[in-house]
Amino acid sequence: MKVSKLWLDKFFDAPLPNAEALSDALTFHAFEIDGVDKVGEDEVLDVKITANRGHDCLSHRGIAKELSAILKLPFTHDPFVASKTVASLAAGQQGDVREATVSVALDTPLCKRYIAANIKGVKVGPSPKWLQERLEAIGQRPINNVVDATNFVMFNTGQPLHAFDAGKLTSVDGKYSIEVRAAKNGEKMLALDGKEYELKDSMLVIADANEVIGLAGVKGGMPSGITTDTVDIIVESANFDGVTTRKTAAALKLRTDASSRFEQVISPEMCAHGISGMIELMQRPDMNMGGEVVSVVDIYPQPQQQTYVSVTVEQVNKILGTKLTGADIADVFQRLGFPYKEQSDIFEVQPPAERLDLTIPEDLVEEVGRIIGYDKIAPVELPAFATQPEINAGFYTAEKVREELMSQGYSEVVTSVFAETGERTVLNKVDGVKPYLRTSLISGLNDAVKKNIPNKDLLGIKEIKLFEIGTVWKDGKEMMMVGIVTEKQAAVEEPLEMHAPSAAPTQYENLPLSETQQYKPFSKYPYIVRDVAVWVPNDTQANEVEDSIQKEAGELCKKISLFDRFQKADKTSLAFRLIFQSFDKTLEDSEANTAMEKVYVALKAKGFEIR
Amino acid sequence: MKSELTPENKGEMRGHMHPISSLIREANKIFSDMGFAFASGPLVESEWYNFDSLNVPKDHPARDMQDTFFMKDEPETVLRTHTSPVQVRYMEEQLKKGIQPPYRVIVPGKVFRNEATDMTHEAEFFQIEGLAVGEDITLAHLKGTLERFFKELFKGVNVEVRFRPSFFPFTEPSVEVDMRLMGETAPEKLRGKWIEMMGAGMVHPNVIKNAGLDPQKYRGFAFGMGLDRLAIVRWAIDDIRLMHSADLRFINQF
Repeated sequence: MKVSKLWLDKFFDAPLPNAEALSDALTFHAFEIDGVDKVGEDEVLDVKITANRGHDCLSHRGIAKELSAILKLPFTHDPFVASKTVASLAAGQQGDVREATVSVALDTPLCKRYIAANIKGVKVGPSPKWLQERLEAIGQRPINNVVDATNFVMFNTGQPLHAFDAGKLTSVDGKYSIEVRAAKNGEKMLALDGKEYELKDSMLVIADANEVIGLAGVKGGMPSGITTDTVDIIVESANFDGVTTRKTAAALKLRTDASSRFEQVISPEMCAHGISGMIELMQRPDMNMGGEVVSVVDIYPQPQQQTYVSVTVEQVNKILGTKLTGADIADVFQRLGFPYKEQSDIFEVQPPAERLDLTIPEDLVEEVGRIIGYDKIAPVELPAFATQPEINAGFYTAEKVREELMSQGYSEVVTSVFAETGERTVLNKVDGVKPYLRTSLISGLNDAVKKNIPNKDLLGIKEIKLFEIGTVWKDGKEMMMVGIVTEKQAAVEEPLEMHAPSAAPTQYENLPLSETQQYKPFSKYPYIVRDVAVWVPNDTQANEVEDSIQKEAGELCKKISLFDRFQKADKTSLAFRLIFQSFDKTLEDSEANTAMEKVYVALKAKGFEIR
Repeated sequence: MKSELTPENKGEMRGHMHPISSLIREANKIFSDMGFAFASGPLVESEWYNFDSLNVPKDHPARDMQDTFFMKDEPETVLRTHTSPVQVRYMEEQLKKGIQPPYRVIVPGKVFRNEATDMTHEAEFFQIEGLAVGEDITLAHLKGTLERFFKELFKGVNVEVRFRPSFFPFTEPSVEVDMRLMGETAPEKLRGKWIEMMGAGMVHPNVIKNAGLDPQKYRGFAFGMGLDRLAIVRWAIDDIRLMHSADLRFINQF
């Protein structure tokens, strides 16, 4: 989620440290940071909210609260604390209770709460500059003061809002009736993005007396969208089921900022903060919105209950491997703003309503660990294990077979388990090709040989010999096979089990490891082979000749190998193979020829006869 | 470049081991010395072991079609997306044999993700899982164990391990593990740089419970590290797809 530094500043009495410091604080105590961008005067952090914190941290308020705990800065301007109760919002401007102008019916348990505020006489126009800047900083396009206000509240508190043009809704005697219900199969809605969506009964909709006006938690309908002609509005601050919202958004390929919040599951308590934030914002003079709140309806059949989670000092230390005191732990809970009771080293914590992730003692241990900082945990080696680890027969056998085949000159390949044919099939292979699980290693090995033959000279090997130890799915079983293949002999395979030792091994053998320090990338371009054979005196070393060749052959010569040698009376014939290859292009014959000419000249100069 | 085929050693040459096999061999040696046994499990796995038993809820986005290969005509069966299912399988097997914790086990093996392949992504790749369960296992032990593993793997080079907060359904607390090689003897390309190596944490009590153990009594740490990624870091390999390429221009370098 994109988070604006200037926006975050507003939760505190003094400006926060710079974005780099914020980035570090979040990285080591809360979330990864995908990047920091400068946007005008502002700095914007891209915060990767983990799946367990989508409940409370997909908002500036959530991130600010984290920073308050991490940096020990008093969280002085918490919009949740400042929120007015729904009852007081509904009381109207003179404090008199009016007759509600909206009725709401929840025909589904998938909507836990629905607040509708009917506001009359608004003036739709551009938002003030500060609001436009905040939204633009996080990649949002300002639209008008009403829509921008709903968006601001969502990015501020995490509670999505939606504003309907009340003038476009069906009303009877000045009263609106709103219903949250399952869509009917085939029901259609023209959404704010200008597209018409066909709905299914697994989806949740908002409807007025007449038709569908919104796709719950995902997108509003076009006909009731806010325009410059809008005068009366109904603002929705509701709570929709996470799974339903996610599935709907996925099915319609319509993932929105609202749906991505609801799909994380958010607390219905936040609805009140959302509507309160909206009304407070619209009453700011610089919004130029005007408007009178005529009624606020809150349908909340089963209010969220306060939960309690307990953890002991001992639990914290036994899980983290620390020696923290009760005071250390109390400090963390205070910084996080968790109400708690402490009694004989037991902390009973009341998680804030929006912290739906805190349900077991271990969750609180994580809070302590991360706020204190995992750098405070000193590494400790495990105590010695009482018994010798058991020997895994399959691995032991694989290692024995691997060594045996390598000693015979076979090199190990790993090929894909996906095949053209097989007994078992993958349902959803992304590329659609090779959807079967292989029944054999053979075709993979045969392909591997073919692929390597053209590179023999480059590799400097006489014969391609390969093996694979891998899983196949055959005769209803998943089993390990070992297969071998050479250039001359088509692939054969047998169950690895056939090579199992007759007596149970008591320990693994100490086998050699790769001693390679670093891999060297190879060229993807074709190479050119040139041979040169020379007569040399019998006492001439092959290395000496090779050095002369290497000096002249130039950088394009990737490999020189002696491939033949024979003696005839007083002279010896040495035949070398040169491989020319470029990293940047396909070489021309002429380039290899030029290099070879230089080699011939140098060899002749040494008095060697070119054969 | 010197010729490999000098007349003196024209005999049968030893073949080359796949770098992943070499890493598994080495990891097994290091962890075996710390008391970890080697375990394995099926690649075609039930949703129970791959997800539910690991505290991944039914509606978790990770279970969506785009991330997981599901088997056709085999309900609730997937190609395992990580080596973690063997955590529960191993604990169950031990209990069946009447063996109570402590347990220490590593699980190297192939895993699958349903994604498009590129230089850093493969649909099939290798992971190594680690699990230590007992009455007194702590997050500090996880740090100590991983530090020793990297120290031995990078041959006595100064290794630092750091944790960052993270989230996985099967661990609580969850951490992301970074490693840094320090000092003159560290490979120049890696020296002084923090490298993200794996996800880890303390085994979630629900996982301990699902394996048939009492989470009030037993705790554990677990980690899951990409072996392809480890090989890439270790040998500066530039393309993960080389692992399954069967290309000797790659394999013969090891």
